[in-house]
Amino acid sequence: MQYLVSVIDDTAGLATPEEEAAIDVFNDRLKAEGHWVFAGGLAAPSSATVIDNRGEEAMFTDGPFLESKEYLAGFWIIEAADLDVALKLASEGSKACNRKIEVRPFL
Amino acid sequence: MVASLTRRFADLDIAEEAAAEAFATAVERWPADGVPPNPGAWLTTTANRKAIDRIRRENKRGDKQQEAQLLYDDPPEPLGAIDDERLRLIFTCCHPALAMETRVALTLRMVAGLTVPEIARAFLVQETAMGRRITRAKAKIKAARIPYRVPSAEDLPVRVSGVLAVLFLVFNEGYLATGPDTDPVRHDLTAEAIRLTRLIRALMPDDGEVAGLLALMLLTEARRAARVSASGELVRLDEQDRGAWDAALIAEGHRLVRERLAARVAPGRYQILAAISAVHTSARDVRDTDWSQVVALYDQLVQLDPSPIIALNRAIAVAELDGPEVALAAVDRLEHRLAGYHAYHVARADLLRRLGRSQKSRAAYDKAIELAGNTAETAYLTRRRDQLG
Repeated sequence: MQYLVSVIDDTAGLATPEEEAAIDVFNDRLKAEGHWVFAGGLAAPSSATVIDNRGEEAMFTDGPFLESKEYLAGFWIIEAADLDVALKLASEGSKACNRKIEVRPFL
Repeated sequence: MVASLTRRFADLDIAEEAAAEAFATAVERWPADGVPPNPGAWLTTTANRKAIDRIRRENKRGDKQQEAQLLYDDPPEPLGAIDDERLRLIFTCCHPALAMETRVALTLRMVAGLTVPEIARAFLVQETAMGRRITRAKAKIKAARIPYRVPSAEDLPVRVSGVLAVLFLVFNEGYLATGPDTDPVRHDLTAEAIRLTRLIRALMPDDGEVAGLLALMLLTEARRAARVSASGELVRLDEQDRGAWDAALIAEGHRLVRERLAARVAPGRYQILAAISAVHTSARDVRDTDWSQVVALYDQLVQLDPSPIIALNRAIAVAELDGPEVALAAVDRLEHRLAGYHAYHVARADLLRRLGRSQKSRAAYDKAIELAGNTAETAYLTRRRDQLG
């Protein structure tokens, strides 16, 4: 079963070199143990564009869909047998990237 | 039965419905057809079939192999396996991914079998909110795939403390049940809580808080026979016939408390509460109660647990040492936190009565009666109020 592990950031900064190193170690482990599906860091929310094409014309807005102190900085998609496995992995992920994370199951 | 159905179908809703339907069918058919030779097995088989039918109807299992597995009839389970099932169910209901209040509600619903209104009362929450809480919990267990198992050895200590908190609440609900006209001491719930705590103790025989909680339950349960009078009125600790207390349960409770004292490990809250109970149950007569010990233990407990209810109980003990005036001052300080809690008004009413302030006492009894949830307690409070004259 797949889980989205979102990295929640409330600072302006990107990962420090120590954090990056820890993340690399963690990612290697995910791959070695067969949990890795995909992962990536995201550019700042200010680089985002929102599109609403539900109506007649597509509307484009500069910036993130939600203005907030906390924002999505990156994510992993992991494969795990159940929530206990996902939570253990995500705990290590939180430690590695030194941020809060959110674990959410895919449908 | 719900536990073993949950194991097979990994869905609490299906398990619950199937169990209910099986019972309903039994009620319909057995009077006419006669009770089958093995009613338990009949119910389980029927419930399994109904669960499978529902799954098929709702097309929840696309996987044919899984479906084939579900048709395979389990042999009748030995007692050990049923206990294991219940442990699995309780650890699932108490999973850390669920909020504490959710774990309690779900365990009371799924393991102890309380109704939603009963659970809502116990926590002073609206029924609709409680119903939603439970529905969302089941949905989360399913969607996030919270596993149905007893945690591994390394995870056990953390997971157990969550379970103990829930079991304590189940016990309390059974010991002084809410809702008008309920039997004030529901033996089935207290027995259930004790039984589950013994199971946890078998799993973790060296854990102090597990032993403490078991001791607390046993020492409290030991007083059950003395707690309700023949006329159905609640009998307070100081008025109970101590000869009616269960000596065997008290002996076991005291043994557990002594065991924890000998361990020389800083006690957690259940161990302290058990020790307080042990002080009470050591006194042959209420006048022999070592109140300074009780207050000293409450002083320790207040450090661990800032709950106003603990502070209230400490104040009640202080009344025996320092008199009702001092105690009343301490109780009044809790007003803004406990105004909706009937025991707060009971404590005030009693202290005011002892101070001869009958009018205020009467008002406090009235408030307590208004808030009290059970008939036996209401009867007791009404009598005390009417004695004021």
